[in-house]
Amino acid sequence: MKKEFRVDTALYSEEALGLAANVAGAGAAPGKRGKVSIEAEDPEAAFREFMNEALSQQCRIDLVKRNFKASQLILTNALVSALGRKNDAGGGK
Amino acid sequence: MAKKPGANAAAPAAFQFRRLAAGGVLVTNDFGGRAFISDRDFLMYSSGRLPASGKAYDALAAGGFVRDRLDFETLAGKWRSRNDSVFYGTGLHIFVLTLRCNHKCAYCQSSVTGERAAGADMPLSVARKSVDLAFQSPRKAITIEFQGGEPLANWDVLREIVKYARTKEKRTGKKLTLAMVSNFSLMDEAKAAFLLENEVSLCTSLDGPESLHNKNRTWSGGNSHRETARWLKYFNSRHDSQHDLKYRVFRPGALLTVSRLTLGHAREVVDEYAARGLEEIFLRPLAPIGYAKKRWQEIGYSPEEFLEFYEKALRYILLKNRRGVKIREKFAQMLLTKILKSEDSGYLDMRCPCGAAIGQLAYNYNGDVYTCDEARMVGWSGDDIFKAGTVGDKYEDIIAAAATKTVCAASSLESQPFCHRCAYKPYCGVCPVVNYEAQNSLWGQMPSNHRCGTLKGLFDLLFGLLRDGDSRAVLETWVNAGAKR
Repeated sequence: MKKEFRVDTALYSEEALGLAANVAGAGAAPGKRGKVSIEAEDPEAAFREFMNEALSQQCRIDLVKRNFKASQLILTNALVSALGRKNDAGGGK
Repeated sequence: MAKKPGANAAAPAAFQFRRLAAGGVLVTNDFGGRAFISDRDFLMYSSGRLPASGKAYDALAAGGFVRDRLDFETLAGKWRSRNDSVFYGTGLHIFVLTLRCNHKCAYCQSSVTGERAAGADMPLSVARKSVDLAFQSPRKAITIEFQGGEPLANWDVLREIVKYARTKEKRTGKKLTLAMVSNFSLMDEAKAAFLLENEVSLCTSLDGPESLHNKNRTWSGGNSHRETARWLKYFNSRHDSQHDLKYRVFRPGALLTVSRLTLGHAREVVDEYAARGLEEIFLRPLAPIGYAKKRWQEIGYSPEEFLEFYEKALRYILLKNRRGVKIREKFAQMLLTKILKSEDSGYLDMRCPCGAAIGQLAYNYNGDVYTCDEARMVGWSGDDIFKAGTVGDKYEDIIAAAATKTVCAASSLESQPFCHRCAYKPYCGVCPVVNYEAQNSLWGQMPSNHRCGTLKGLFDLLFGLLRDGDSRAVLETWVNAGAKR
């Protein structure tokens, strides 16, 4: 069964909805202006699952923005150190 | 609404917290600081009203929880020490010498094929290229671990590659550790002698007493438990009797995989390890990856079921220690090393970012290189999302590969909802491969994540035990024993 739902685009970004659709699989398809089409045996239940994932993705996206500096510093250092290049954190055990 | 901190009150610095089942609150921070405080003190502290004197204040100030008492130099040093291994390059190189195996284990995660399957062995040319790639790591000390399938099934290549790697060690000046994980069923005196002379440390699988082990680890060629026990005794005896040798003989190790069949046998598996003279037991939960994922309904369990088993076993091990038996539980030891010593225990799955690619690489029999061994198992099921390259690539290309960057970014706890506010964040790590397999997303969703549920339960148990003097005394001896992976 196919059903269309509407999501508040002030809360959920296109990116979060797209990622949630990717996790949910072929049954979920976000459209324009917050429309989400769900094709499943129980579309209501599938939509709840979809929104759960969308919420998780949106929280993560917001968190990435908030912690960007610290996170990027650690990741860049880890990758640069793995290449054996000198970095501020030292390295070369 | 929280009041503004008073002039004589402790202004809170960044912290995470967890209310404990036994009462009180555990407060932690990213520097590894921790404090147990009462519910009332926590309320005062978190609202900026805790008086700047007294026991709770002293504990919080010492842990780096009071804003105007932060010693950044010391705290940064602690952070660095706990995350040390993140900054030195890939140390562990896992070679899958063959997919062939003569065992058919209930949970086998190694993605094996049958004993006589063709085209499932790593050719010598690929093995040499794998060694060359491993030695390109900037790390001064590297470990090459031979796995399978059953690595002894590809003995000729194993022998040649041990010699090749040892020669390369001399030429490059790197410190090389060689290790092999084997079921020992294809071991003989000549192979054992070669492995010992070349200082290959040996590890096997021991799933408990005979009946349990043989149910988990089926071998049509004989009694798997008997062969495992025989060779454990042999290598233990070689370890104990080494005098005037030109090489070191390491004590053999064993790994236990907890399947559904194991759950009711906590005491028996501990007794089995102690009886075999093994000083370490690693109660590893099963991961729903590859073959195990397909059979999860039969062999898997919930985090609560595992935790019930684990607690029984751990409490029994602690009791044995108090009675003078020397045996440690490795999972607890590794987590406690981070908690009590603020040091990296070397456990790659519990780092931030995780150890995939920047800590370990898995070299498949056919020359494909994956970000970790679990990633290789996903590759076995036809999905190469975690493939970082091939043995023909340069090490730099492997580290710069999209798969490497992706797993690094996806395992950053700073970007994980729930994790970044979890009290156990300073000691924990996420696994993008497990998330991907279990929840179809690299980031997963922690509230319903099987692995997260298990780890939270483990931390709850350990922090509970640390408040008990007798248990803490034993656990501290394990941490000081400090064996690193």
